[in-house]
Amino acid sequence: MADVSFERTSGPALNGPWARAGGALAILIASLVILFTFGEEQTFPEAATSRFPFAVWVNGAEDWLQANLRWLTRAISSGVGWALETVEEFLWTVSWWVVLVALVVPSLAYGGLRLALITLLGVMMWGAFGMWYEAMSTLSMMGISVGLSIIFGVLIGVASAQSDRFEAAVRPILDTMQVMPAFVYLLPAIFFFGIGPTAATMAVMIYAMPPMIRLTNLGIRQVPESMVEAARSYGCTPRQMLFKVQIPQALPSIMLGVNQTIMMALALAVLAVFVGGGGLGEQVWKAIVKLKVGWSLEGGLCIVAMAIIFDRLSQAMSAPPVTPKLNRGEVLFRLLPQSWEPYAPARWIEQAINVVWNAVATISGAITGGIASAVGAISRPLGEFIRGRPYLVMGLILIAIIMILQEFAPRSWRPGDYPGDWEISIRKPVDEAIGALTVYPPFYTMTQWMRAVTFLYFLKPIDFFLTHLPWWYITALFTAVAWYVAGWRLGLLTALSLMFCGASGLWGLTMYTITGTTVSVLFCLLIGIPFGVWAAYSRVADAILRPILDTMQTIPSFVYLVPALFFFGGNPTTAVIATVIYAIPPVIRATALGLRQVPVEVDEVARSFGTTPLQALTKLKLPLAMPSIMLGVNQTVIMALAMQTVTPLVAGLGLGKEVYDAMNIANTGKGLTAGLGIVLMAVVLDRLSLAMTANQRAALGLK
Amino acid sequence: MKTTFALVGAALGLAVAAPASAGGLLKAPVADWTGGAVTCEIIHQILESEMDYKVKRITMPSGPGVNEGLRAGDLDFACETWPSYSTTKEKYVTEYGGDGSVKYFAPVGVIGQSGYFVPRYMVEGDGAVAPDLKTYADLNKYKDLFKTLESGDKGRLIGCPVAAWECKDAERVEGLSLDYQVVELGSETAHWAEMKAAYARKEPFLAYAWTPHWIFAELDLVEVGLPPHSEEAWPVSDWPEDVTYNYGRPDLSDDHPQVVQLIENFRLSNDEQAGLILAIDIEGKDIEDVASAWLADNKSTWTNWLPKTN
Repeated sequence: MADVSFERTSGPALNGPWARAGGALAILIASLVILFTFGEEQTFPEAATSRFPFAVWVNGAEDWLQANLRWLTRAISSGVGWALETVEEFLWTVSWWVVLVALVVPSLAYGGLRLALITLLGVMMWGAFGMWYEAMSTLSMMGISVGLSIIFGVLIGVASAQSDRFEAAVRPILDTMQVMPAFVYLLPAIFFFGIGPTAATMAVMIYAMPPMIRLTNLGIRQVPESMVEAARSYGCTPRQMLFKVQIPQALPSIMLGVNQTIMMALALAVLAVFVGGGGLGEQVWKAIVKLKVGWSLEGGLCIVAMAIIFDRLSQAMSAPPVTPKLNRGEVLFRLLPQSWEPYAPARWIEQAINVVWNAVATISGAITGGIASAVGAISRPLGEFIRGRPYLVMGLILIAIIMILQEFAPRSWRPGDYPGDWEISIRKPVDEAIGALTVYPPFYTMTQWMRAVTFLYFLKPIDFFLTHLPWWYITALFTAVAWYVAGWRLGLLTALSLMFCGASGLWGLTMYTITGTTVSVLFCLLIGIPFGVWAAYSRVADAILRPILDTMQTIPSFVYLVPALFFFGGNPTTAVIATVIYAIPPVIRATALGLRQVPVEVDEVARSFGTTPLQALTKLKLPLAMPSIMLGVNQTVIMALAMQTVTPLVAGLGLGKEVYDAMNIANTGKGLTAGLGIVLMAVVLDRLSLAMTANQRAALGLK
Repeated sequence: MKTTFALVGAALGLAVAAPASAGGLLKAPVADWTGGAVTCEIIHQILESEMDYKVKRITMPSGPGVNEGLRAGDLDFACETWPSYSTTKEKYVTEYGGDGSVKYFAPVGVIGQSGYFVPRYMVEGDGAVAPDLKTYADLNKYKDLFKTLESGDKGRLIGCPVAAWECKDAERVEGLSLDYQVVELGSETAHWAEMKAAYARKEPFLAYAWTPHWIFAELDLVEVGLPPHSEEAWPVSDWPEDVTYNYGRPDLSDDHPQVVQLIENFRLSNDEQAGLILAIDIEGKDIEDVASAWLADNKSTWTNWLPKTN
């Protein structure tokens, strides 16, 4: 959602800190006066809601589509379904060693020993928790949906890079696809695409394709004009321009899109169970409906492992890790941190690893070289292709050996399925720990205190404020803020969005969603920024936080809903807590990144003026890091809104609940209306925070 | 990524497609509550062992998704719908005024009953805080016990978790002049989690629940009496009995009449199902094993359900 085209229209007179504080105070007083004048709960005028039956229109459209377009969607789904079944069948029947090799060998080639180890442990986790077949189902579903997303994403991305008008038309659609709650389209997907992984694949594509389109478009548009000109002056045809210049130059950006698409697809893996998609999501769902936390955690960790493997692998492929610069006589560390080099035992281990590494590299190089020469005799380019990819050759050879053994070797020699003896289970200890914490008085006192503070001092007053002020005042206020920060166009969009929600009869729910999101984002900032600062100053903290944040972002939220319910109870606070867990990582990451990017000289200058470290942080470094932090906040706001879809499962209220209730009565129109409300809020808040970031950058004299 | 795809792609060439099941494949959803799941599992096992069918069991949340699948023809049949909780029966099931795109086959035999419950430790035994709590008429006297942060001066009633079930708890509370606030926790998971945690801490709670259900195997609950059910007074009365039924796609009777016959002959009583639920949820046995053990012990019962071969 990168749109910074809104211009700032306010005059300089409004910009002083005093003027701003005065303005805010004036608004607060005016609001309080109006609040006490009206005194009662406010609603949107009936005259508007009765003339705007948006949900009825949508349901009419759905009926028409069901009657007239189903032959087409069914044709698509039978094609996709065939591909899915083929891949799944293969992954289910093949020995688990094949999957292991297919993932570990590229990890080793692109990411080195450390990544290979992560991949090895991740793959083994699927088997160890007894979820091998489920993991393979999810893997095939992810493979097909990510593959299709890449193909269509690149096509649409290239098209939008060629035409500004096309891009402008596509952008709002992409915003909608990304923020529209999945519960809106999951149920209709069943009728159009059928029960099972096919409908799930379609739903995953809706959610996962936008980053692919955006980043392809962005990458091609960022190719320097001079390079395009030069290519054109050499007589490049448009096709050559695209395939030989633009796409290769945009490749890093496209690879980032692939990475994002994989992550988003995995985020939806659990919701696939709502259309009978099977896989790991099924395990998580079966577990949480019976309140089995340990079981759902196992399923969740399998998904986390899958996300981490593909995240690291796709990152390593787009940007290979740099080998550290070594002094003379230093040993290259492949497994342990390079900073342990001075310690002899660590050196011995690494020397041994290096011997094996070099031997393997030499052997595979020789084998590949031989094959490449043989193939090169027939086709030169193919031979060169093979010569450059020893890991591919070795991986295929290993897989072939495993498959031949599986087929022809004596029974005891067959590689077979993941061995049952290697299974472990964390179900019992986790369930016992959660059970003990639930009844542990000091812990319970703390959670109840948190619940009381959140409800009494945050949720209740803000909700009171928003629901008791008249709709025209709220609309005017929000519009004015948007106008002041980002120009008249965003002001207009804000006004229209609020009017849409009001006219659809969702005024009260919209206000509650604003309350819940505001409180959650506020908590994210209060907790996240200190952690970000800590991570920026301490390498240890950074190393501890990183895997935790990865897990928080990729573990299905269903997994922590049940413990949150046990500890905090079913009430709006639990919804806030769940939202904070999901949405906090970007703030922490962005704060740490922003602070680390502040030039070292700033610190030195500050020290020479005799400032304390705290002063340097609050007066100099945090303001300088603000644009970066704001980008994190932007992400957090969007994620908090996205979480509104899930919080109704734990007594969350607002538009998300409306979407969920609509799904339970199979009323697409009702769900889509509330979903659009969430989308519009996300778009407004996204544009608003981007405009604020741009303003800050301008004020700091950054580009 | 590219390499992975290349590897998978190359390996695909070597893979041999397994033969498809030779006809008679049926697709059925697995209910996400134990009772419904075990009911269906018994039918599935009879179909597989006696009638040469293969049943693909699909896990998905029970609810409107199942109906969408049936009406689209992707699912063949489903087990144990509770009329009170089916939100789409008026739209699709002829017996309830729908368009007939989902077909009612026959009652399961299991009769459901909803009501309000409190934990037994509140009303019986030494530490009982509300020994006289018997019916709704006693609830106002004890409302302070049920107060929470969010409910203010009123007591809290943990109502039906899903709005779409139309339990009308708020109307009932108002009609009975109870000084209680109804909260709706959004999902069954949240509903049972709240009760289970409160039970573990021995806290008072008043909650909606229904029988038969696995929660009664875990928690010892006592029902709070409501005025007997009546159509006129509804919702200010107890719930009607839930005559649960099995259902499926309309053309299943044409395509596989024997399957429909089996489903129509099938009956399971509350007591029989309660024993099965106990074995699964409390003794922790596998649902497949429990169903096959029941089949082994009750051969005379289920052989009568088999369709007459003609």
